[in-house]
Amino acid sequence: MFRVILQSHWNWSKLLLGPGVVAAFALPILSVQQINEPGYADWSPWGTAGLLRDVESWGIWYAALAAGLGLAIATSAWGSDHRGGHVYALSLPVERWRYVLFRYASGAVLLGVPILSFWLGALLAIASIDLPDSLHAYPTELAVRFALASLVAFTVFFAISAGTMRTAGYILAVIGGLLVAQLLLATAGAGVDPLEYVVDRLTSWPGPFEVFTGRWMLIDV
Amino acid sequence: MSNAIETRGLEYRIGRSFEIRDLALNVPEGSIYGFLGPNGAGKTTTIQLLLAMRRARAGSITVLGKRVPQEITAVLSRTGYVPERPHVDPSLKIDEALRFHAAFYRSWDDKEGERLLAQFDLDRSRRIKRLSKGETGKFLMVLALAQRPDLLLLDEPTDGLDPVVRREVMTAVVDYVSQRGATVFISSHLVHEVERMCNWIGVMDKGRLVSEMTTDSFKSGIKRLRVTGAPQSMADPPFVLLSRQPSEGVIEGELWVVRGWQAPMRDYFESAGARLTEVTDLDLEDGFVELLRTSRSRQPLEGR
Repeated sequence: MFRVILQSHWNWSKLLLGPGVVAAFALPILSVQQINEPGYADWSPWGTAGLLRDVESWGIWYAALAAGLGLAIATSAWGSDHRGGHVYALSLPVERWRYVLFRYASGAVLLGVPILSFWLGALLAIASIDLPDSLHAYPTELAVRFALASLVAFTVFFAISAGTMRTAGYILAVIGGLLVAQLLLATAGAGVDPLEYVVDRLTSWPGPFEVFTGRWMLIDV
Repeated sequence: MSNAIETRGLEYRIGRSFEIRDLALNVPEGSIYGFLGPNGAGKTTTIQLLLAMRRARAGSITVLGKRVPQEITAVLSRTGYVPERPHVDPSLKIDEALRFHAAFYRSWDDKEGERLLAQFDLDRSRRIKRLSKGETGKFLMVLALAQRPDLLLLDEPTDGLDPVVRREVMTAVVDYVSQRGATVFISSHLVHEVERMCNWIGVMDKGRLVSEMTTDSFKSGIKRLRVTGAPQSMADPPFVLLSRQPSEGVIEGELWVVRGWQAPMRDYFESAGARLTEVTDLDLEDGFVELLRTSRSRQPLEGR
Protein backbone atom coordinates (compact mmCIF):
# COMPACT_ATOMS: atom_id res chain seq x y z
CA MET A 1 0.00 0.00 0.00
CA PHE A 2 2.68 2.45 1.06
CA ARG A 3 4.68 1.83 -2.09
CA VAL A 4 1.80 2.77 -4.41
CA ILE A 5 0.96 5.83 -2.30
CA LEU A 6 4.61 6.91 -2.49
CA GLN A 7 4.55 6.35 -6.25
CA SER A 8 1.39 8.45 -6.55
CA HIS A 9 2.93 11.23 -4.46
CA TRP A 10 6.07 11.14 -6.55
CA ASN A 11 4.01 11.51 -9.73
CA TRP A 12 2.40 14.62 -8.33
CA SER A 13 5.51 16.22 -6.85
CA LYS A 14 8.35 15.35 -9.22
CA LEU A 15 8.13 18.61 -11.21
CA LEU A 16 8.50 20.62 -8.01
CA LEU A 17 10.85 18.26 -6.28
CA GLY A 18 13.45 18.28 -9.07
CA PRO A 19 14.22 22.02 -8.89
CA GLY A 20 13.95 21.78 -5.09
CA VAL A 21 16.68 19.15 -4.94
CA VAL A 22 18.95 21.23 -7.18
CA ALA A 23 18.32 24.38 -5.13
CA ALA A 24 18.95 22.53 -1.86
CA PHE A 25 22.27 21.26 -3.18
CA ALA A 26 23.35 24.56 -4.66
CA LEU A 27 22.36 26.92 -1.85
CA PRO A 28 25.10 26.02 0.68
CA ILE A 29 27.72 26.01 -2.08
CA LEU A 30 26.63 29.43 -3.32
CA SER A 31 26.61 30.80 0.21
CA VAL A 32 30.38 30.30 0.63
CA GLN A 33 31.52 31.01 -2.92
CA GLN A 34 32.78 34.49 -2.11
CA ILE A 35 35.36 33.01 0.26
CA ASN A 36 37.19 31.53 -2.71
CA GLU A 37 37.30 34.85 -4.49
CA PRO A 38 40.79 36.42 -4.73
CA GLY A 39 41.56 38.78 -1.86
CA TYR A 40 38.69 37.61 0.33
CA ALA A 41 40.75 35.58 2.77
CA ASP A 42 41.19 38.37 5.27
CA TRP A 43 41.15 36.51 8.57
CA SER A 44 41.63 39.54 10.76
CA PRO A 45 38.88 40.07 13.36
CA TRP A 46 37.20 42.55 11.01
CA GLY A 47 37.47 40.20 8.07
CA THR A 48 36.04 37.31 10.08
CA ALA A 49 33.10 39.43 11.22
CA GLY A 50 32.45 40.39 7.61
CA LEU A 51 32.49 36.75 6.58
CA LEU A 52 29.98 35.84 9.29
CA ARG A 53 27.68 38.69 8.18
CA ASP A 54 27.85 37.40 4.62
CA VAL A 55 27.09 33.85 5.71
CA GLU A 56 24.22 35.02 7.88
CA SER A 57 22.69 36.99 5.01
CA TRP A 58 22.02 33.67 3.27
CA GLY A 59 19.99 32.43 6.22
CA ILE A 60 16.68 33.76 4.92
CA TRP A 61 17.08 31.66 1.78
CA TYR A 62 17.58 28.46 3.77
CA ALA A 63 14.38 29.14 5.70
CA ALA A 64 12.50 30.11 2.55
CA LEU A 65 13.64 26.97 0.71
CA ALA A 66 12.67 24.74 3.63
CA ALA A 67 9.21 26.36 3.76
CA GLY A 68 8.80 26.17 0.00
CA LEU A 69 9.73 22.50 -0.14
CA GLY A 70 7.37 21.71 2.74
CA LEU A 71 4.59 23.55 0.95
CA ALA A 72 5.24 21.86 -2.40
CA ILE A 73 5.33 18.35 -0.96
CA ALA A 74 2.29 18.97 1.24
CA THR A 75 0.06 20.33 -1.49
CA SER A 76 1.02 17.51 -3.85
CA ALA A 77 0.27 14.92 -1.14
CA TRP A 78 -3.46 15.31 -1.67
CA GLY A 79 -3.37 16.14 -5.37
CA SER A 80 -4.78 12.86 -6.61
CA ASP A 81 -7.41 12.69 -3.86
CA HIS A 82 -8.61 16.25 -4.43
CA ARG A 83 -9.13 15.43 -8.10
CA GLY A 84 -11.78 12.84 -7.27
CA GLY A 85 -13.30 14.76 -4.37
CA HIS A 86 -11.74 12.17 -2.01
CA VAL A 87 -14.44 9.68 -3.04
CA TYR A 88 -11.88 7.17 -4.28
CA ALA A 89 -9.81 7.33 -1.12
CA LEU A 90 -12.93 6.92 1.01
CA SER A 91 -13.94 3.84 -0.95
CA LEU A 92 -10.64 2.04 -0.31
CA PRO A 93 -10.58 -0.65 2.38
CA VAL A 94 -8.11 1.07 4.67
CA GLU A 95 -8.72 2.93 7.90
CA ARG A 96 -8.76 6.66 7.37
CA TRP A 97 -6.06 7.34 9.97
CA ARG A 98 -3.82 4.77 8.27
CA TYR A 99 -4.39 6.32 4.85
CA VAL A 100 -3.54 9.78 6.21
CA LEU A 101 -0.47 8.34 7.90
CA PHE A 102 0.69 6.76 4.63
CA ARG A 103 0.18 10.03 2.79
CA TYR A 104 2.14 11.87 5.48
CA ALA A 105 4.90 9.27 5.51
CA SER A 106 5.24 9.38 1.73
CA GLY A 107 5.72 13.15 1.95
CA ALA A 108 8.32 12.74 4.67
CA VAL A 109 10.21 10.21 2.55
CA LEU A 110 10.15 12.50 -0.49
CA LEU A 111 11.34 15.41 1.63
CA GLY A 112 14.31 13.26 2.55
CA VAL A 113 15.68 13.67 -0.98
CA PRO A 114 16.20 17.47 -0.92
CA ILE A 115 17.32 17.25 2.70
CA LEU A 116 19.99 14.75 1.75
CA SER A 117 20.88 16.94 -1.20
CA PHE A 118 21.19 19.93 1.13
CA TRP A 119 23.46 18.00 3.48
CA LEU A 120 25.71 16.87 0.61
CA GLY A 121 25.79 20.42 -0.74
CA ALA A 122 26.77 21.74 2.68
CA LEU A 123 29.56 19.15 3.07
CA LEU A 124 30.86 19.94 -0.40
CA ALA A 125 30.70 23.67 0.28
CA ILE A 126 32.79 23.29 3.42
CA ALA A 127 35.26 20.98 1.72
CA SER A 128 35.83 23.60 -0.95
CA ILE A 129 37.03 26.36 1.42
CA ASP A 130 39.78 26.90 3.96
CA LEU A 131 38.63 28.33 7.26
CA PRO A 132 40.78 29.97 9.93
CA ASP A 133 41.05 28.22 13.30
CA SER A 134 38.69 30.76 14.86
CA LEU A 135 35.75 29.63 12.72
CA HIS A 136 33.95 26.30 12.51
CA ALA A 137 31.65 24.71 9.95
CA TYR A 138 28.31 23.16 10.90
CA PRO A 139 27.05 21.36 7.77
CA THR A 140 25.32 18.51 9.61
CA GLU A 141 23.76 20.76 12.22
CA LEU A 142 22.46 23.09 9.51
CA ALA A 143 21.11 20.13 7.53
CA VAL A 144 19.28 18.87 10.63
CA ARG A 145 17.75 22.30 11.12
CA PHE A 146 16.81 22.43 7.45
CA ALA A 147 15.17 19.00 7.84
CA LEU A 148 13.21 20.10 10.90
CA ALA A 149 12.05 23.32 9.25
CA SER A 150 10.98 21.43 6.10
CA LEU A 151 9.08 18.91 8.20
CA VAL A 152 7.34 21.64 10.21
CA ALA A 153 6.28 23.44 7.02
CA PHE A 154 5.22 20.13 5.46
CA THR A 155 3.19 19.15 8.52
CA VAL A 156 1.37 22.47 8.77
CA PHE A 157 0.55 22.68 5.05
CA PHE A 158 -0.29 18.97 4.92
CA ALA A 159 -2.92 19.50 7.62
CA ILE A 160 -4.33 22.59 5.91
CA SER A 161 -4.43 21.08 2.43
CA ALA A 162 -6.05 17.89 3.74
CA GLY A 163 -9.10 19.88 4.67
CA THR A 164 -11.99 21.03 2.59
CA MET A 165 -12.54 24.47 1.14
CA ARG A 166 -14.56 25.16 4.28
CA THR A 167 -11.53 24.45 6.47
CA ALA A 168 -9.41 26.76 4.34
CA GLY A 169 -12.18 29.34 4.69
CA TYR A 170 -12.07 29.07 8.49
CA ILE A 171 -8.31 29.58 8.50
CA LEU A 172 -8.59 32.60 6.23
CA ALA A 173 -11.42 33.95 8.39
CA VAL A 174 -9.24 33.69 11.53
CA ILE A 175 -6.37 35.50 9.79
CA GLY A 176 -8.77 38.11 8.40
CA GLY A 177 -10.35 38.53 11.85
CA LEU A 178 -6.94 39.14 13.38
CA LEU A 179 -6.09 41.77 10.77
CA VAL A 180 -9.41 43.56 11.29
CA ALA A 181 -8.98 43.44 15.07
CA GLN A 182 -5.48 44.82 14.67
CA LEU A 183 -6.77 47.66 12.51
CA LEU A 184 -9.62 48.54 14.87
CA LEU A 185 -7.42 48.46 17.96
CA ALA A 186 -4.79 50.59 16.25
CA THR A 187 -7.43 53.13 15.18
CA ALA A 188 -8.79 53.26 18.72
CA GLY A 189 -5.26 53.73 20.07
CA ALA A 190 -5.71 50.79 22.46
CA GLY A 191 -2.02 50.00 22.50
CA VAL A 192 -2.73 46.30 22.06
CA ASP A 193 -1.25 44.42 19.12
CA PRO A 194 -2.94 41.01 18.69
CA LEU A 195 -1.18 40.24 15.41
CA GLU A 196 2.23 40.78 16.90
CA TYR A 197 1.25 38.65 19.87
CA VAL A 198 0.17 35.76 17.65
CA VAL A 199 3.23 35.99 15.42
CA ASP A 200 5.43 36.13 18.50
CA ARG A 201 3.74 33.03 19.99
CA LEU A 202 4.18 31.13 16.75
CA THR A 203 7.79 32.06 16.09
CA SER A 204 9.26 31.85 19.57
CA TRP A 205 9.75 28.73 21.65
CA PRO A 206 7.64 26.58 21.94
CA GLY A 207 5.85 27.93 18.85
CA PRO A 208 5.99 25.64 15.81
CA PHE A 209 7.76 28.17 13.58
CA GLU A 210 10.58 28.93 15.96
CA VAL A 211 12.86 26.75 13.85
CA PHE A 212 12.58 29.24 10.98
CA THR A 213 13.77 32.21 12.98
CA GLY A 214 17.21 33.12 14.32
CA ARG A 215 20.52 32.65 12.58
CA TRP A 216 21.04 29.93 9.95
CA MET A 217 24.82 29.63 9.95
CA LEU A 218 26.81 27.19 7.90
CA ILE A 219 29.95 28.77 9.36
CA ASP A 220 30.16 30.26 12.83
CA VAL A 221 32.56 30.78 15.66
CA MET B 1 -32.55 -15.63 3.00
CA SER B 2 -30.36 -13.08 4.77
CA ASN B 3 -29.83 -9.55 3.56
CA ALA B 4 -26.60 -8.27 2.06
CA ILE B 5 -27.74 -4.74 2.87
CA GLU B 6 -30.13 -3.79 5.60
CA THR B 7 -30.96 -0.36 6.93
CA ARG B 8 -33.39 0.53 9.69
CA GLY B 9 -34.75 3.95 10.53
CA LEU B 10 -32.02 5.70 8.58
CA GLU B 11 -32.15 9.48 8.83
CA TYR B 12 -29.94 11.98 7.04
CA ARG B 13 -30.30 15.64 6.25
CA ILE B 14 -28.47 18.04 3.93
CA GLY B 15 -29.35 21.63 4.79
CA ARG B 16 -33.06 22.34 4.87
CA SER B 17 -33.88 21.23 1.38
CA PHE B 18 -33.25 17.49 1.43
CA GLU B 19 -33.54 14.69 3.89
CA ILE B 20 -33.69 10.93 3.96
CA ARG B 21 -36.38 9.78 6.36
CA ASP B 22 -36.86 6.45 8.05
CA LEU B 23 -35.17 4.44 5.31
CA ALA B 24 -35.58 0.68 5.68
CA LEU B 25 -33.83 -1.15 2.84
CA ASN B 26 -33.66 -4.93 2.54
CA VAL B 27 -31.37 -6.16 -0.22
CA PRO B 28 -31.39 -9.97 -0.25
CA GLU B 29 -28.06 -11.75 -0.57
CA GLY B 30 -27.44 -12.85 -4.16
CA SER B 31 -30.04 -10.52 -5.59
CA ILE B 32 -29.63 -7.94 -8.32
CA TYR B 33 -31.40 -5.04 -6.73
CA GLY B 34 -32.44 -2.08 -8.85
CA PHE B 35 -32.61 1.13 -6.87
CA LEU B 36 -34.89 3.35 -8.91
CA GLY B 37 -35.76 6.95 -8.45
CA PRO B 38 -35.87 10.25 -10.26
CA ASN B 39 -32.91 12.61 -10.17
CA GLY B 40 -32.51 14.06 -6.70
CA ALA B 41 -34.43 11.24 -5.02
CA GLY B 42 -31.50 10.44 -2.71
CA LYS B 43 -30.06 7.38 -4.43
CA THR B 44 -26.44 8.57 -4.44
CA THR B 45 -26.73 9.87 -0.89
CA THR B 46 -28.05 6.49 0.22
CA ILE B 47 -25.13 4.69 -1.40
CA GLN B 48 -22.70 7.08 0.23
CA LEU B 49 -24.36 6.37 3.58
CA LEU B 50 -23.95 2.64 2.96
CA LEU B 51 -20.22 3.22 2.34
CA ALA B 52 -19.82 5.51 5.37
CA MET B 53 -18.87 8.44 3.15
CA ARG B 54 -21.61 10.31 4.97
CA ARG B 55 -22.74 9.95 8.56
CA ALA B 56 -26.40 9.23 9.25
CA ARG B 57 -28.15 11.21 11.98
CA ALA B 58 -30.00 8.14 13.19
CA GLY B 59 -30.70 4.54 12.31
CA SER B 60 -28.59 1.48 11.61
CA ILE B 61 -26.82 0.12 8.54
CA THR B 62 -25.63 -3.45 8.08
CA VAL B 63 -23.72 -4.41 4.94
CA LEU B 64 -22.49 -7.99 4.38
CA GLY B 65 -23.24 -8.70 8.00
CA LYS B 66 -21.04 -5.86 9.28
CA ARG B 67 -22.12 -2.68 10.98
CA VAL B 68 -21.51 0.58 9.17
CA PRO B 69 -19.63 2.78 9.91
CA GLN B 70 -18.00 0.78 12.74
CA GLU B 71 -16.76 -2.05 10.51
CA ILE B 72 -16.53 -0.17 7.24
CA THR B 73 -13.02 -1.37 6.35
CA ALA B 74 -14.18 -4.99 6.34
CA VAL B 75 -17.19 -3.99 4.24
CA LEU B 76 -15.10 -2.07 1.71
CA SER B 77 -12.65 -4.94 1.29
CA ARG B 78 -15.55 -7.02 -0.09
CA THR B 79 -17.37 -4.28 -2.00
CA GLY B 80 -16.84 -3.09 -5.54
CA TYR B 81 -18.01 0.48 -6.00
CA VAL B 82 -18.65 2.36 -9.21
CA PRO B 83 -19.65 5.94 -8.44
CA GLU B 84 -21.85 8.25 -10.43
CA ARG B 85 -18.86 10.32 -11.54
CA PRO B 86 -15.32 9.02 -12.16
CA HIS B 87 -13.38 9.13 -8.90
CA VAL B 88 -9.96 7.89 -9.96
CA ASP B 89 -7.09 10.34 -10.48
CA PRO B 90 -7.38 11.14 -14.21
CA SER B 91 -3.67 11.88 -14.55
CA LEU B 92 -2.84 8.21 -14.01
CA LYS B 93 -2.38 5.70 -16.77
CA ILE B 94 -4.72 2.71 -16.70
CA ASP B 95 -1.82 0.51 -15.69
CA GLU B 96 -0.87 2.79 -12.78
CA ALA B 97 -4.44 3.05 -11.57
CA LEU B 98 -4.79 -0.74 -11.66
CA ARG B 99 -1.61 -1.22 -9.64
CA PHE B 100 -2.70 1.39 -7.11
CA HIS B 101 -6.12 -0.20 -6.73
CA ALA B 102 -4.78 -3.77 -6.56
CA ALA B 103 -2.51 -2.88 -3.65
CA PHE B 104 -5.54 -2.34 -1.41
CA TYR B 105 -7.41 -5.58 -2.16
CA ARG B 106 -6.26 -9.03 -1.09
CA SER B 107 -8.84 -10.57 -3.38
CA TRP B 108 -7.56 -8.68 -6.42
CA ASP B 109 -7.32 -10.97 -9.46
CA ASP B 110 -4.69 -9.88 -12.00
CA LYS B 111 -5.83 -12.37 -14.60
CA GLU B 112 -9.41 -11.22 -14.33
CA GLY B 113 -8.27 -7.61 -14.67
CA GLU B 114 -6.31 -8.53 -17.75
CA ARG B 115 -9.24 -10.44 -19.20
CA LEU B 116 -11.64 -7.55 -18.61
CA LEU B 117 -9.23 -5.02 -20.13
CA ALA B 118 -9.07 -7.19 -23.24
CA GLN B 119 -12.84 -7.69 -23.26
CA PHE B 120 -13.42 -3.93 -23.06
CA ASP B 121 -10.57 -3.22 -25.48
CA LEU B 122 -8.76 -0.91 -23.07
CA ASP B 123 -5.07 -0.13 -23.54
CA ARG B 124 -3.05 -0.21 -20.29
CA SER B 125 -0.75 2.60 -21.42
CA ARG B 126 -3.48 5.20 -21.92
CA ARG B 127 -4.10 7.96 -19.43
CA ILE B 128 -7.52 8.01 -17.82
CA LYS B 129 -8.08 11.64 -18.78
CA ARG B 130 -7.70 10.64 -22.43
CA LEU B 131 -10.44 8.00 -22.24
CA SER B 132 -13.89 8.62 -23.66
CA LYS B 133 -16.87 8.56 -21.34
CA GLY B 134 -17.69 5.02 -22.38
CA GLU B 135 -14.12 3.84 -21.88
CA THR B 136 -14.00 5.48 -18.46
CA GLY B 137 -17.21 3.69 -17.49
CA LYS B 138 -15.73 0.39 -18.63
CA PHE B 139 -12.48 1.03 -16.79
CA LEU B 140 -14.28 1.76 -13.51
CA MET B 141 -16.12 -1.52 -13.98
CA VAL B 142 -12.80 -3.33 -14.46
CA LEU B 143 -11.60 -1.92 -11.13
CA ALA B 144 -14.79 -3.01 -9.38
CA LEU B 145 -14.97 -6.50 -10.88
CA ALA B 146 -11.30 -7.52 -10.77
CA GLN B 147 -11.26 -7.12 -7.00
CA ARG B 148 -13.74 -10.06 -6.89
CA PRO B 149 -16.25 -8.42 -4.55
CA ASP B 150 -19.17 -10.07 -2.78
CA LEU B 151 -21.19 -6.90 -3.24
CA LEU B 152 -21.26 -4.50 -6.16
CA LEU B 153 -22.56 -1.01 -5.48
CA LEU B 154 -23.14 0.66 -8.82
CA ASP B 155 -24.31 4.25 -8.83
CA GLU B 156 -25.82 4.96 -12.23
CA PRO B 157 -22.92 3.13 -13.90
CA THR B 158 -24.28 3.46 -17.42
CA ASP B 159 -25.62 6.99 -17.22
CA GLY B 160 -24.63 8.87 -20.37
CA LEU B 161 -23.18 5.81 -22.11
CA ASP B 162 -24.24 4.76 -25.57
CA PRO B 163 -26.39 1.61 -25.86
CA VAL B 164 -23.53 -0.57 -27.11
CA VAL B 165 -21.21 0.30 -24.24
CA ARG B 166 -24.10 0.11 -21.78
CA ARG B 167 -24.85 -3.43 -22.88
CA GLU B 168 -21.16 -4.43 -22.70
CA VAL B 169 -20.87 -3.11 -19.16
CA MET B 170 -24.06 -4.68 -17.89
CA THR B 171 -23.25 -8.00 -19.54
CA ALA B 172 -19.95 -8.05 -17.66
CA VAL B 173 -21.85 -7.46 -14.40
CA VAL B 174 -24.37 -10.21 -15.10
CA ASP B 175 -21.58 -12.64 -16.09
CA TYR B 176 -19.76 -11.88 -12.86
CA VAL B 177 -22.87 -12.40 -10.77
CA SER B 178 -23.67 -15.68 -12.48
CA GLN B 179 -20.15 -16.99 -11.76
CA ARG B 180 -19.76 -15.65 -8.28
CA GLY B 181 -23.27 -15.31 -6.86
CA ALA B 182 -22.51 -11.79 -5.68
CA THR B 183 -25.12 -9.23 -4.70
CA VAL B 184 -25.57 -6.21 -6.94
CA PHE B 185 -27.13 -2.96 -5.83
CA ILE B 186 -27.56 -0.74 -8.86
CA SER B 187 -29.06 2.70 -8.74
CA SER B 188 -30.53 4.07 -11.92
CA HIS B 189 -33.25 6.15 -13.40
CA LEU B 190 -33.15 4.03 -16.57
CA VAL B 191 -36.12 1.83 -15.79
CA HIS B 192 -35.82 -0.48 -18.80
CA GLU B 193 -32.22 -1.30 -17.95
CA VAL B 194 -33.22 -2.26 -14.43
CA GLU B 195 -36.20 -4.22 -15.70
CA ARG B 196 -33.96 -6.41 -17.86
CA MET B 197 -31.46 -7.44 -15.23
CA CYS B 198 -32.81 -6.94 -11.71
CA ASN B 199 -34.86 -9.38 -9.68
CA TRP B 200 -35.57 -6.92 -6.88
CA ILE B 201 -36.62 -3.32 -7.09
CA GLY B 202 -36.68 -0.49 -4.60
CA VAL B 203 -38.17 2.84 -5.57
CA MET B 204 -37.04 5.99 -3.87
CA ASP B 205 -38.52 9.46 -4.14
CA LYS B 206 -37.73 12.62 -2.20
CA GLY B 207 -35.63 10.77 0.35
CA ARG B 208 -38.23 8.08 1.09
CA LEU B 209 -38.44 4.46 0.05
CA VAL B 210 -41.74 4.29 -1.78
CA SER B 211 -41.75 0.60 -2.57
CA GLU B 212 -39.57 -2.50 -2.37
CA MET B 213 -40.54 -5.82 -3.97
CA THR B 214 -39.46 -8.44 -6.48
CA THR B 215 -39.46 -7.28 -10.10
CA ASP B 216 -41.96 -9.97 -11.01
CA SER B 217 -44.52 -8.88 -8.47
CA PHE B 218 -43.90 -5.26 -9.41
CA LYS B 219 -44.49 -5.95 -13.08
CA SER B 220 -47.24 -8.54 -12.93
CA GLY B 221 -49.55 -6.84 -10.47
CA ILE B 222 -49.65 -3.34 -11.95
CA LYS B 223 -52.51 -2.78 -14.39
CA ARG B 224 -54.42 0.06 -15.95
CA LEU B 225 -58.19 -0.52 -15.76
CA ARG B 226 -60.88 1.26 -17.71
CA VAL B 227 -63.96 1.51 -15.49
CA THR B 228 -67.39 3.00 -16.21
CA GLY B 229 -70.18 3.84 -13.81
CA ALA B 230 -68.02 3.72 -10.72
CA PRO B 231 -69.44 5.62 -7.73
CA GLN B 232 -67.23 8.32 -6.27
CA SER B 233 -66.39 6.26 -3.22
CA MET B 234 -65.98 2.51 -3.40
CA ALA B 235 -65.31 0.60 -0.23
CA ASP B 236 -62.41 -1.74 0.45
CA PRO B 237 -60.96 -2.66 -2.96
CA PRO B 238 -59.08 -5.99 -2.94
CA PHE B 239 -56.13 -4.31 -4.73
CA VAL B 240 -54.05 -1.20 -4.11
CA LEU B 241 -55.49 1.76 -5.98
CA LEU B 242 -52.55 3.84 -7.19
CA SER B 243 -54.44 6.44 -9.19
CA ARG B 244 -57.93 7.16 -10.48
CA GLN B 245 -58.74 9.79 -13.06
CA PRO B 246 -61.26 10.51 -15.80
CA SER B 247 -60.21 9.07 -19.15
CA GLU B 248 -59.17 11.60 -21.75
CA GLY B 249 -60.81 12.08 -25.15
CA VAL B 250 -64.15 10.74 -26.28
CA ILE B 251 -63.98 7.45 -24.39
CA GLU B 252 -66.14 7.65 -21.29
CA GLY B 253 -65.28 6.30 -17.88
CA GLU B 254 -62.22 6.44 -15.69
CA LEU B 255 -58.69 5.09 -15.80
CA TRP B 256 -57.56 3.32 -12.68
CA VAL B 257 -53.99 2.22 -12.05
CA VAL B 258 -53.88 -0.59 -9.52
CA ARG B 259 -51.32 -2.86 -7.92
CA GLY B 260 -51.88 -6.46 -6.86
CA TRP B 261 -54.44 -7.13 -9.57
CA GLN B 262 -55.81 -10.63 -10.23
CA ALA B 263 -58.50 -11.68 -12.71
CA PRO B 264 -61.17 -12.73 -10.14
CA MET B 265 -61.18 -9.17 -8.83
CA ARG B 266 -63.51 -8.20 -11.74
CA ASP B 267 -66.39 -9.20 -9.47
CA TYR B 268 -65.61 -6.32 -7.20
CA PHE B 269 -66.68 -3.80 -9.83
CA GLU B 270 -69.92 -5.59 -10.62
CA SER B 271 -70.86 -5.81 -6.95
CA ALA B 272 -70.35 -2.04 -6.71
CA GLY B 273 -72.51 -1.33 -9.76
CA ALA B 274 -69.57 -0.41 -12.00
CA ARG B 275 -68.30 -2.04 -15.16
CA LEU B 276 -64.74 -3.01 -16.01
CA THR B 277 -64.25 -2.65 -19.76
CA GLU B 278 -60.53 -3.07 -20.25
CA VAL B 279 -57.45 -4.35 -18.40
CA THR B 280 -54.03 -3.28 -19.71
CA ASP B 281 -50.62 -4.53 -18.55
CA LEU B 282 -48.26 -1.73 -17.62
CA ASP B 283 -44.53 -2.12 -18.10
CA LEU B 284 -42.09 -1.29 -15.34
CA GLU B 285 -41.66 2.29 -16.47
CA ASP B 286 -45.40 2.99 -16.42
CA GLY B 287 -45.63 1.29 -13.06
CA PHE B 288 -42.72 3.34 -11.79
CA VAL B 289 -44.30 6.60 -12.94
CA GLU B 290 -47.66 5.70 -11.41
CA LEU B 291 -46.01 4.67 -8.19
CA LEU B 292 -44.24 8.01 -7.91
CA ARG B 293 -47.38 9.93 -8.79
CA THR B 294 -49.36 8.13 -6.11
CA SER B 295 -46.63 8.50 -3.56
CA ARG B 296 -46.33 12.24 -4.20
CA SER B 297 -50.09 12.81 -4.00
CA ARG B 298 -50.19 10.98 -0.66
CA GLN B 299 -47.25 12.72 0.95
CA PRO B 300 -49.05 16.01 1.76
CA LEU B 301 -51.89 14.06 3.37
CA GLU B 302 -49.46 12.04 5.48
CA GLY B 303 -47.77 15.23 6.57
CA ARG B 304 -50.95 16.67 8.08
